[in-house]
Amino acid sequence: MRDLLTISPISMSILVVLLPLAAFVIQAILGKKSTSGIVSLIAITASTLISGGFVFMAVWDNPPVSATYDWFTIGDKTFTLGFLLNNLSVLMQFIVCIIALPVHIYSRSYMKGDPGIHRYWMYLSLFCFAMLGLTISKNLFMLYIFWELVGFASYLLIGFWFTREAAVQANKKAFLVNRIGDLGFLIGIAIIFSTFGTLDLVDLFGKEGIFSQGIDKNTGWMTGAGIAFFLGAMAKSAQFPLHVWLPDAMEGPTSVSSLIHAATMVAAGVFLLSSIFPLFNETVLLIIAITGTITALSSAFFALGQYDIKKILAFSTISQLGYMMVAVGIGAWDAAMFHLVTHAFFKCLLFLCAGAVIHEMAHLKAHGNQEFDPQDVRNMGGLRRYMPKTFALMAIASLALAGFPLTSGYLSKDAIVITAWEWAMHHEGLYLIIPILLIVVSILTAFYIGRLIFKAFFGEFRLNDLDVTHLHDAPRTMLIPMLFLGIGAVFFVFSWNPLSYADAGILQGLSVEYPFAEAHALHVIVPIILTCGSLIAWWIGWRWYVKGSYPLNPQNRWIQASLNQGYLDEVYHKTFVKPTLKLAQASYWFDQYIVDGLVNFSAKAVRSLSSLSSWVDRYIVDGLVNSVAGTTYYTGHLLRWIQNGRLQNYLGFAFTIVLIGIIYLIIR
Amino acid sequence: MITLTHFLVVSACIFCIGLYAVLAKRNAIMILVGIELMINSAVLNLVAFGRYDKVNYGGQVFALFAIVLAAASVAVGLAIILNVYRKYKTINPDNITDLRD
Repeated sequence: MRDLLTISPISMSILVVLLPLAAFVIQAILGKKSTSGIVSLIAITASTLISGGFVFMAVWDNPPVSATYDWFTIGDKTFTLGFLLNNLSVLMQFIVCIIALPVHIYSRSYMKGDPGIHRYWMYLSLFCFAMLGLTISKNLFMLYIFWELVGFASYLLIGFWFTREAAVQANKKAFLVNRIGDLGFLIGIAIIFSTFGTLDLVDLFGKEGIFSQGIDKNTGWMTGAGIAFFLGAMAKSAQFPLHVWLPDAMEGPTSVSSLIHAATMVAAGVFLLSSIFPLFNETVLLIIAITGTITALSSAFFALGQYDIKKILAFSTISQLGYMMVAVGIGAWDAAMFHLVTHAFFKCLLFLCAGAVIHEMAHLKAHGNQEFDPQDVRNMGGLRRYMPKTFALMAIASLALAGFPLTSGYLSKDAIVITAWEWAMHHEGLYLIIPILLIVVSILTAFYIGRLIFKAFFGEFRLNDLDVTHLHDAPRTMLIPMLFLGIGAVFFVFSWNPLSYADAGILQGLSVEYPFAEAHALHVIVPIILTCGSLIAWWIGWRWYVKGSYPLNPQNRWIQASLNQGYLDEVYHKTFVKPTLKLAQASYWFDQYIVDGLVNFSAKAVRSLSSLSSWVDRYIVDGLVNSVAGTTYYTGHLLRWIQNGRLQNYLGFAFTIVLIGIIYLIIR
Repeated sequence: MITLTHFLVVSACIFCIGLYAVLAKRNAIMILVGIELMINSAVLNLVAFGRYDKVNYGGQVFALFAIVLAAASVAVGLAIILNVYRKYKTINPDNITDLRD
């Protein structure tokens, strides 16, 4: 065992990245024949085992290792390919693997019989390759390449059912919004490169790196670079106001939503900010914290009014990403990564459970031959009697999301909220608004996830005229991955102490030193407030949705605003989409009538000139020649008639001529 | 009193009839007949002018020559017509237009 562990973790981590790529290539070559997905499954299983056994185990809590290879040289600057394995990157890589594996197994049942399944496995492997590569990239340039690749894989998977208009619109939207962020990322890279002449993460942010030698971070360029990188993270991690693509991205298959749009890819922004954390100065960090708070609050509010089960979860994801951003903003990026990891487990589980529910509802729809939306929570109800295992797992995940004690979410969310309190108390004043809002968001979170559970699993099934005996739990291949993730949503995976996050292995491994004092009282008060708030929220939710105590007018202004996502899409449509379309139309008009018009006009002029000269040529020049030829021809034709071979005619002519001659002689 | 003019008029008439036959008839034998008529009108002229040569009777003698030559030419002409008929299975000159260009 010792010998095995001495295998270079670098080459092993590269193998982890390349296995899904190989799976992608194999399936791309096999094409429609590879429907089983066994290639992807084998690749991701091997990746997970290698990543866990040879990379994570070997590097975690050990000094970072890295390898650099020259790639190409422009002028005297050499660009490199590099792999960096430190606690952060191996943790992220392992998490991606360990989330991707159950999703792959789940997909085997969930996507069975889909006509485009061969594409599904191909794209999924492509995504895994890109995401795993992103985690261990050593320089920003390479990171950017993988960043674009995950965006592309996400684009392909959102538009997986490309025959649906909504899916096409959604993947277009995701792609365009992510372009904004990618542009930010690129600008950030450009600033870093022009300032320091290197993109190597170790050279820049390592222990001996440029940033640890105490350079002045408060320059305008550094603020600009920080904001530019944050813009990249904002688009990828769906931060307000660039979050609009994520709810629409739910058009993709649910298994994809769980892997890409809940657990891994959207967390890439948080991972990026954690990797380049030393870059940020106070200003940028404050912007990050404020944006994160706004995101968390607004999305929690939007989640309250949604009816689509996946959209509720999507807004919940955005809200939790907001939490992570706040954690980065207050300097506690270890807490952000901790929440990222716990969130990956329970949010992936929530999506997989939702997928199981949607699966059953879709079956019911197919059996009953009725038109209803299988994702609408208003059509569900009482499902806990038909799908008890799914219900139990979803309840665990929901408790974790709400941050209930004994769950993993409790640990990570408390880490963020308490650290935010400590940070705000250190700064005092208006800074205190942020932790207060975070607590409000936490209670809202408990309420909306409670609403989802109560609406879908409690009460009576709302579509009474359907035969509910068809409803049953998901098949075992779907339940086992869900069970696995469910275990990941419980506290003991991360810390043996269920009540204090300080013992969590991830936080100890990342070990960030906070510049502010620890307040012991908060470690007791905040969890109590959060837990009591959640309990009250659930009690209200129970009375509201199960007992029907507080009937609501769905036309209420607040509910409408929440359902329509604060009319943000409409605002974007009016301010960006429409003017862009107008501009496009104007340029089309300009192109059509001015540019093309000029060309067409000159073409027309030349054409009429040439037709004039053609007329002259045909009727004057040729006409002269033709008329001469014609005259000759007709004369010849006339004379030819005489030569008709009739002796008597010849004789007659001869006689006539003689007669004329005689008459001539007589008259003369 | 029958004068020379009467002979010449009769001769001219015969010549015209012969000419018409040559130009208009649709039968090669009738054309040959027309030629004979024209020859005979010429012979008549010779005989008529012969009255001015009372010494040698050159006119009459010439007329005899002409009649003999005419008989010979008729023989040749008939032979030609016979060959033409063999080749073309017709003696209508309208149908024999090999001289055409």
